Amino acid sequence: MANDESWFGKFVNELHEKPWFKCAGAWTLVPIWARLTPVKPLPGGVRPSIQPGDNLQSMMNLIMPLKTENRSPIGRAAAALAIAKNRDQIFAGLDNVGTVHFARFVIVNDNICMFSVYDGDFTNYIRDFIATIGSAFNDVVKLVEGGDAVTPCEENVEAFIQWIHEHDLYQVPDTPTDFLRDQEYLEGDKAVSPVNDDLTLLPRKLVLQLRANKNVSLGSGYRAYPGYSVAQVRKQLQLGW
Amino acid sequence: MVDKSTAKRLVDEMISNLPKHNRQQRPVHTIGVGVDAYFTASDVARKFCIAEHFSGERICAKVRFSNASGGPEQHDGWNDVRGMATRFLLPSGAATDLIATTLREFFARNVEDFFEFTKLDKHKPYRRESPWRKILDMLQLKIPRRDPYPGEETNASAGILNYANRHRFAQLGVAEFKKIGAPVSYARAAYHAIHTFIVEGENEVRRPVRFSWQPVAGVGNTNPDAPPVDDYLRQELEGRLQRWPARFVLMMTIGEAGDAIDDPTRPWPARRVRIVMGTLTLTGVPEDQATAGEQISFNPLRLVRGIEPSADPILHARRDAYEVSREMRGGTACPFSHRSCADGE
Repeated sequence: MANDESWFGKFVNELHEKPWFKCAGAWTLVPIWARLTPVKPLPGGVRPSIQPGDNLQSMMNLIMPLKTENRSPIGRAAAALAIAKNRDQIFAGLDNVGTVHFARFVIVNDNICMFSVYDGDFTNYIRDFIATIGSAFNDVVKLVEGGDAVTPCEENVEAFIQWIHEHDLYQVPDTPTDFLRDQEYLEGDKAVSPVNDDLTLLPRKLVLQLRANKNVSLGSGYRAYPGYSVAQVRKQLQLGW
Repeated sequence: MVDKSTAKRLVDEMISNLPKHNRQQRPVHTIGVGVDAYFTASDVARKFCIAEHFSGERICAKVRFSNASGGPEQHDGWNDVRGMATRFLLPSGAATDLIATTLREFFARNVEDFFEFTKLDKHKPYRRESPWRKILDMLQLKIPRRDPYPGEETNASAGILNYANRHRFAQLGVAEFKKIGAPVSYARAAYHAIHTFIVEGENEVRRPVRFSWQPVAGVGNTNPDAPPVDDYLRQELEGRLQRWPARFVLMMTIGEAGDAIDDPTRPWPARRVRIVMGTLTLTGVPEDQATAGEQISFNPLRLVRGIEPSADPILHARRDAYEVSREMRGGTACPFSHRSCADGE
């Protein structure tokens, strides 16, 4: 930044922008550090909380990889069709669940994804979901890796809830320190102060977590009207429920 | 509340950490600019807070933007917290202040923490890290330390980092400070009042809340890799306000049972109810900066009926520390003149 920089200093300062350096880092340094300081993948879904506001408008980001034989345009079309032909059943079911703000299906590469925003407890949401649209959802789950073990989902409720939880993305917290606390908690570290941390390791911890957890949701997301349930919004707008 | 001697010690500790200090100036947030403004409450504000400035009437206001660093040297482009102190000049003749900074969370929970922090927050020589050291950092997947700014010979960042490494409650404030940057304009930063206040709404309903100013022009920082400019924020604001007023929206977040009420180091979850309380319109930068900002003594506990402090010990300590600082620099104690709204009213 100061203009008394040597050519070598300038070269080093710009290293992080060089494609070859990024590749070298990704292919050599990251695996080395992953071996030296192994990181467990952080679990998906929202954190348990008893505070009312934390149990409204929660996000579920379900990423379901298609089976190997379905990783093709034909397989993706089959997934699209499974959603399309059950559309009425899914939408009617979500109305009956009654706590879902938004839900949508997306195909990204060879994954079928369901993104939804719901109120209340996660397991209750999935339980209600199975009860109301389980049979329609079976057509989708059958196309997905590991799906055979949990279909028909209405007959494998607990296994299906666990399966959904495992496919729900880790939600990286809004603050870097909450991310550190998540990792420490997973490792059984509940110390408060004084401690002997090294904040400069934060970038490495993030890199290694993103290696262990390839897909994540970033932050808790934006909400225009946080703190209100589906029922409250519909009541206030006099839409009935 | 802290006693006067503790408040004086707090101020003395801050001054002792400064490389240079002029006793006629504020020990921190020394460099700033005073701005004329007016505030208009939103339609719903009164429902949540009965304080006079939320009645809906147009309220004259004085705002002082500042760089948090202490001392007479101006470095607008350096990584630093910015302050936005607002005085609402109420029609009844009273006044109330809202003091906010670009830092969302503080790094000390109480006065004892703060004293411990000041022991480590010492300026030390700050030199460019060798390229080899930077390569070593990168090999460890760490971000190398930034180079010193032109003219930056000392820095307290090593002490701050050591403090945060030992105290988890301080880590968020310190981590945010490290990447806070420099705004392209004082009107393009979001400012947070850090502490929790208790507001009284209709039907005597009391709620814990935190206030933030959101810039209508959007948040924007300078390029951290470009050489910083030392003196631009005042001129930018003058030019901006000559062309068009700048606005901030006052957002009030309502806390829930279980949220940190008395601890300014802990954030509230993003999922709390937010209320739009009103709009602050900046109208111009007056020539007479002494009256517009330098002589005004803001105080976070200058409150009116409808807003009360929480039990946050840092908030209470600030009351007396600000007063001690005012006495030391000879600031005006109670400048409650409210007759000169910037637009001529």
